[in-house]
Amino acid sequence: MQNRPSGFGNPWLQLGLSVVCVFASELLLKRGASEVAAPDDAFSWTGINGLASPLVWWAIVLIIASFISWLYVLRYIPLNIAYPLSRVVDILVPLGCWIFLGELISTLRWCGIALVVSGLALVAKPIAKMEERL
Amino acid sequence: MSFLAFLFILISLVTFVAAQLILKKAMQFSATKGMRNSYFVSRVAIGVVLMTVSFFLTLGLLQRFDLSYLYPFQGLSVIFITILAAVVLKEKLSARLAIGALLITAGILLVSMS
Repeated sequence: MQNRPSGFGNPWLQLGLSVVCVFASELLLKRGASEVAAPDDAFSWTGINGLASPLVWWAIVLIIASFISWLYVLRYIPLNIAYPLSRVVDILVPLGCWIFLGELISTLRWCGIALVVSGLALVAKPIAKMEERL
Repeated sequence: MSFLAFLFILISLVTFVAAQLILKKAMQFSATKGMRNSYFVSRVAIGVVLMTVSFFLTLGLLQRFDLSYLYPFQGLSVIFITILAAVVLKEKLSARLAIGALLITAGILLVSMS
């Protein structure tokens, strides 16, 4: 972690921004996809019809922004610290589905989500180390 | 969930993980050899194509399923990385990793039944 810049260039702030961008982009993609959903049309499996929704374009902008700030974060914070922290998004997304998208999440699904999140928390560090070597 | 949906979830995850690793290799390569060479450009191009495939498949899936249903499946990417590391790096599975992978798998099973 060499001389960390402060202010907007603070890598911890950028890590937070990256997580928020990923979170928001997931919700926007879902909203956008639902707007133009054509489940009876086989072509819509390709997802290309999703481009008709402006929300999907906003999501793309956020994905690119999250990618840029993530690359910046990796210059200052080691992957095996940054990656486990970035997994906070796995808790935010289901909560966002419930609060902002109004998805009805059954007890069974909440239990499944909790298991996945705890599994991810456990493996985040070893996985980051593996990814670094791969 | 139909077989088709499961297949697309798998393809979108595998392409995403592959793209990440290929892009990372390309960036590492560029650090020493620069960006003006066909190796770097072709790897970045492959990475971007794979990312795009993953993105659009996800968009197709989101038209049919709840985000709270699809999102947990991203946990499977951990299993792909573990398998890949075992094959490429001959890395042994630690107890922590094995338990984590089991938890994720059990969680995804519950979500897919919901």
